[in-house]
Amino acid sequence: MGRRRSGIRIALVLAAAAAIVSPLALVLYQSVLDAPFFQPSARPSLDAFRFVFADSDFHRAFGSTVLLSAGMTAIAVPLGSALAFLMVRTDLPARRWLEPLVLVPIFLSPVVLAFGYVVAVGPVGFVTILWKKIFGSAPWNLYSLASVILVAGLTHIPHVYLYASSTLRSLAGDLEEAASVSGATSGRIALTVSLPMVWPAILSSGVLIFFLGFEMFGLPLVLGDPEGLLVLSTYLYKLTNRLGVPSYQLMAVVAVVIMAIAFPLVWMQRRLLGAASRFVSVRGKGLSARPLRLGAWRWVALAAVLSWLVATVVVPLAGVVLRAFVSSWGEGVRLSEVLTVEHFTDLFQYPNLVRGIGNTLGIAVLGGALAVAWYAAIALASHRWQSVWARVVDYLVMVPRGMPGLVAGLAFFWLFLFFKPLGPLRGTVASVWIAYTVVWFAYGMRLISSALLQIGPELEESAMTMGASGIQVMREITLPLIRTGLLGSWLLVFLIFVREYSTGVYLLGPGTEVIGSLIVSLWATGAVDTVAALSVINVLLVGMGLFVALRLGVRLHD
Amino acid sequence: MPRTIPSTTGLLTVFLILTANAAREARAAGADPATPAETVLAADKEGKLVVYSTTDSAIVAPVLKDFGALHPKVTVDYNDMNSTEMYNRFLAEAAAGSGSGDVLWSSAMDLQIKLANDGYALAYASPEAPGLPAWASWRNEAFATTFEPIVFVYNTRLLKPEEVPQSHAELVKQLKAHPDRFKGKLTAYDPERSGIGFLLITQDARLDPSFPDTARAYGSVGVKLYTSVGAMLERIQSGEHLLGFNMFGSYAIAKQRKDPSIGIVYPKDYTLVMSRIALIPKAAKHPNAAKVFLDYLLSTRGQEQIAKVALFSVRPDVQGETTAAALIQKLDGVLKPLPVGPSLLVYLDQAKRLEFLKQWQQAIGTK
Repeated sequence: MGRRRSGIRIALVLAAAAAIVSPLALVLYQSVLDAPFFQPSARPSLDAFRFVFADSDFHRAFGSTVLLSAGMTAIAVPLGSALAFLMVRTDLPARRWLEPLVLVPIFLSPVVLAFGYVVAVGPVGFVTILWKKIFGSAPWNLYSLASVILVAGLTHIPHVYLYASSTLRSLAGDLEEAASVSGATSGRIALTVSLPMVWPAILSSGVLIFFLGFEMFGLPLVLGDPEGLLVLSTYLYKLTNRLGVPSYQLMAVVAVVIMAIAFPLVWMQRRLLGAASRFVSVRGKGLSARPLRLGAWRWVALAAVLSWLVATVVVPLAGVVLRAFVSSWGEGVRLSEVLTVEHFTDLFQYPNLVRGIGNTLGIAVLGGALAVAWYAAIALASHRWQSVWARVVDYLVMVPRGMPGLVAGLAFFWLFLFFKPLGPLRGTVASVWIAYTVVWFAYGMRLISSALLQIGPELEESAMTMGASGIQVMREITLPLIRTGLLGSWLLVFLIFVREYSTGVYLLGPGTEVIGSLIVSLWATGAVDTVAALSVINVLLVGMGLFVALRLGVRLHD
Repeated sequence: MPRTIPSTTGLLTVFLILTANAAREARAAGADPATPAETVLAADKEGKLVVYSTTDSAIVAPVLKDFGALHPKVTVDYNDMNSTEMYNRFLAEAAAGSGSGDVLWSSAMDLQIKLANDGYALAYASPEAPGLPAWASWRNEAFATTFEPIVFVYNTRLLKPEEVPQSHAELVKQLKAHPDRFKGKLTAYDPERSGIGFLLITQDARLDPSFPDTARAYGSVGVKLYTSVGAMLERIQSGEHLLGFNMFGSYAIAKQRKDPSIGIVYPKDYTLVMSRIALIPKAAKHPNAAKVFLDYLLSTRGQEQIAKVALFSVRPDVQGETTAAALIQKLDGVLKPLPVGPSLLVYLDQAKRLEFLKQWQQAIGTK
């Protein structure tokens, strides 16, 4: 392998490392100062840690975060695993139709969902009012921690489903078939045969859900507002105002706390996932087995899956759409009298909102393609590369995963402000694109590597033996082979970039508007009409992306 | 007073605008801003103005449109954000020495005065300043641009007229008499999360002799606290809450014009009046455009627009429903304008601020 090629590889890895590590370093540095790092008066100090650790709000927020994480894991893991079993191993009706549908919750912005829930099942939501008419009173309180846990749990079922189903698919069904022939019931097979085999994958997705709970921002931001419910990320957001003057050092401390918890979890999840695939690899691929017959239970199972989809997709989206087309809602309002399209026509009077929609499309379409190119370059650089640098990439992938988008966005805002060479990019969409690309680094790398894994080494090796150079192999063998994989990755990155909201919050300014951060910021100023209209546009963009992806036959997961 | 701008291009336009300006100044009685012609020319050359503001662009759009008609060569980049975010962003950008807002226009009066007090504001003797009441400007650095009453807002569909309190004292009485009716139905700013909410509640504490008791009454019905007046209006509108206090009258009136289920009360014991304060940072990249904009905001023409969008004109010579003149006539002696000056800085002292918040939390029972 040529030295020049090594040079390029190392340069790529170093560039990625700089983009990923510098925001992290800046946050760590800020946390041990007693004032914003850019003020001349800032001195090293642990006062910020002392303040946060002594603050009773922090204790409350920490407690609720642990409950939220544990609760949503307890809901999502069993249900997600059950869903995977139903979809992969049984004769559940309409599986082909359900397969893309069950992934939809992943691609919906949590802020949009939460907002939809307020309109649908909030204290005066349309479902609540209907319920009260029939049953007298509604027994739920949407703004309680329990509700946030329930919503978070239900919307994270697909994350578990992804891991459990792909493991199940890779496992031969012969063991289950043997059990079935011996007369075991489907339930018994699921628990005693399938479950032990996918256990590592389930455990790893459980760890994933648990740390996603630690960074959760959108749901508690909207649903926790009325009751003053705090989790770590919303506590961090609240600190912006606590002292009346900039308190970046306090925010940095909370970010450090979140990362200190997230990093070990990310590491653990990867170990478990590694264990899971090792387990898989010792089993040969058998013939695909006949699905287990559920009998009459298949309809019960179908009803359960459908009602879950209604609860997590249909109800909140109905709420969002309804709110977008009315001027007033709630108790004592006749909807027929308040219908309007004004919120949409109003959008176009504000240049920043129009720019926001354009920027979102640009970042998702063009930026998505560039991001995939960048991920592919790094992935190819470390592809079949026996070097410590490849290991470095392995660890680098974990860093952005453990860093909440909100914090990453703030750190990037500082970088663009104070690192002069980056200055010209500040206030342009490029700054948002860079932040997005870094924050979703792990996700993108996983997409590309799973495409790369499908190429047997013998193809590349034979080209090498024929005397092709490394670059030639990449250009003529590897790249053409993963072309479809790259296209699929592009669509998935498009969906993720359209959905993203927290990373752009602190980068939001003239020229850097995107729909996600505009929704958060407008929600804070209370421009609910505009939030509703933007949310509908956001959902439409996601819908279009999904439609194209399905038409092109892109698998929504690896 | 609408005035059309010649649509010809090139030098001719500049010439026409200049003569138009000159003619306008000659009118003396002056509805249009009295900015010196050379400043206008320099502003046109700068061609751009970055405004950082806490006022919703939805509300302020007609004002900006009118400014655009008057100064078509100055492109306004209007950014609305929340007040603390704006303050933090400005400080970071000032420290980095990179571009920031040319005009900072914020309802967080305390933070604006702090910026001026800390030496960030440009001193500018606006030719329009003499038209303002004396209390409305500070050191020629910070200028009050609006006169917005702080009101009660309620849901007219769900609250009967006899249930609507007319003063802070009546509100407390209502809450104590009907705790079940108002349980979870009262709303206000969260002083912990909103700078303006903090400012207003500290003014309540100053003006209301039995404030600790008042706060306990709020707490007894589990007052719901938010970070924005928009969020509160939305929930009063929908009936999730029945009544809110410390609400911006300006936003409530704008909402009421679209939806009759919004009712407004000017509290009879005292009605706070706050004002959006405008200042020009010393480091402004487009200082002339900033001066032109500030003059416009303070001018009769600008103030008429401000009254039109229900932000309440501060100039005594502007007439109409949503003006200081009308309010003073209606509520003389009840109005308590927040002073534009360093007395607002008391609670930016961290120890005092945290102590106040602690007492507030104890009174409303969240601690």
